[in-house]
Amino acid sequence: METVFISKLKPLMDAVAKKMELYVPKKVDEHFLFSKYDPESTPDVKINSIRACTPVKEFLFPIRELAATYPVATELKDIKPFAVFGLKDCDLKSIEILDKVFEEEDFKDPLYMARREKMFIISSDCTDVGDSCFCCLFEGKVYSESGFDLNISEVKDGFIVDCGSGKGHSFVEQHDELFADVPASLLAEREENRKKLQQQLQQKNARYDNTADMREAVVNSEDSPVYDEQAQACIECQACTRVCPTCHCFYLYDAKQEDYFAKLKIWDSCMRFSYAAVAGGANPNKILGDRMKHRLMHKFVHFLDRYGINMCVGCGRCVDADAGGMDLREILKRIRQENKNKSKAAS
Amino acid sequence: MNYNFYQPINGEITDVIIESPTIKSFVVKTEKPFKFETGQFVELTLPGQGEAPFTPSSSPKETEQMEITIMEAGRITALLHKCGKGQAVGIRGPFGNGYPIDEFAGKEVYIVGGGVGLAPIRSLFLTLVERIKDFKRIVCRYGAKSPDDFIYKKSLFGQWQNIDGVEMKLTVDAANGDWSGNVGVVTTILDPKDVDISNAVAVVCGPPIMMKYATFKLLDFGFPGSSIYLSMEKNMSCGVGKCGHCMIGKYYVCKDGPVFTYDRIKGYSKIWD
Repeated sequence: METVFISKLKPLMDAVAKKMELYVPKKVDEHFLFSKYDPESTPDVKINSIRACTPVKEFLFPIRELAATYPVATELKDIKPFAVFGLKDCDLKSIEILDKVFEEEDFKDPLYMARREKMFIISSDCTDVGDSCFCCLFEGKVYSESGFDLNISEVKDGFIVDCGSGKGHSFVEQHDELFADVPASLLAEREENRKKLQQQLQQKNARYDNTADMREAVVNSEDSPVYDEQAQACIECQACTRVCPTCHCFYLYDAKQEDYFAKLKIWDSCMRFSYAAVAGGANPNKILGDRMKHRLMHKFVHFLDRYGINMCVGCGRCVDADAGGMDLREILKRIRQENKNKSKAAS
Repeated sequence: MNYNFYQPINGEITDVIIESPTIKSFVVKTEKPFKFETGQFVELTLPGQGEAPFTPSSSPKETEQMEITIMEAGRITALLHKCGKGQAVGIRGPFGNGYPIDEFAGKEVYIVGGGVGLAPIRSLFLTLVERIKDFKRIVCRYGAKSPDDFIYKKSLFGQWQNIDGVEMKLTVDAANGDWSGNVGVVTTILDPKDVDISNAVAVVCGPPIMMKYATFKLLDFGFPGSSIYLSMEKNMSCGVGKCGHCMIGKYYVCKDGPVFTYDRIKGYSKIWD
């Protein structure tokens, strides 16, 4: 991997913005949100300390998009190249998960692919640990080693830039004048920063310990009272599935436009009552607690069985968004404890 | 550009056949020939209103037009029931895996159907009959609520009864008129003596409750779960294993089904709900 040094971020961002639309994190209250980068009105660019509030799926799989038209099929929207700066390791892992679904060999989603192919990913190391961050429980890190085009790590007096793809490499080559070699001392400093912050993250999540037995615990939670208990606090706002960067359910909605019919692809939520209902009235998950159980089963059992990875990256967005005060870490901890008690009782 | 599986191909309803008080068959002619395998399903779009999944009830041999048999059960099916000849529709698909009929070769095929569940079974039946010599025997056990509720009445009470190699028995939950056949749910006419279980496959399609009890009865007879083929109904929307609505455990009914052997899905909860 090619690694270079740059003393300020703005020239790099300006260079990216010259080639394509660029989205950068902007602090709004206590959150980071992405906004379009304007070189003229932005004196400087800062690294977001933790992941943004916006899940990266919004860039690849918009809340609502046109999927088909009738009676005349129109060409799908031509997507122009775009870049997103400030994605963290959890964000990159969520893209990996979405890729599994939407880039599945036999049915590559044309809408997703169009955006995915045009996306230039500039990730950055975390510089802090958020209150709800728990990626370390799922092998996540405060920095990324793959999945980006460029990755930026802040060090004393500047930034280390890693090229993680052909696209990233050729960008650096084309803008050779912006970059310098990285002194070994800065690489050592970065290692130290990463190590320290990773430890801090682990300490913060020490009470949840590791989650190696997660699949088994969730499978065995079939009759756990935890779901119905949690359902008492849930206000069914569906925020957890909206902000989740890996939740990808959608529905197809047919609408009449002025002189044609449209089929739209719109985000859905498995927390919705009629999510799995069929016309005859059958509905396997009429009870809210059952829908919560289904969500956890999907994330930690079914997705793992199908694609070989968990469908949770530990970003903690659901913890932040939950109006009922639910905390996925606590739910998982409880499920795992119940499972341990069960196997103790059995032996 | 990747193929856009969200785009329906244009079609038109060219005929409507009233099958029963609640069920109609729609003949749909598509702009281009439409190929499918028996047991696969399509998403039928009523432009501007929505779409719903149906397994065509016609033989896959007919590619110029297909028949789709629909029971009035929800919003889209109610709207479809109001449609007549000339109505423009869209078709997406075909999706999923149908019946592996090559694997049925040399065996007895024991078909258990109920109500509108006869729709996919009709397509299967017509496909089997086209090459009937490949199968040892076809044994059909169909049920309906009442004699009026049977669909495909003309074939069911006529031609299909007289095909060499086909043995058919019908039942109704409640008799009326001059019905002289069996009265009782479809499981009451299932009998292990009617089929050589050691060399047979079973196919079950109907309302969930019927599928559940028919499957349990077949298991009781000694049918292995790997020889019982179920056509599952869930809320299939995208058709390509992405939107999430039709999951049974790790499977997407739309992509991995809709035809499953009982063995494949028996470990998951709520398969019949």
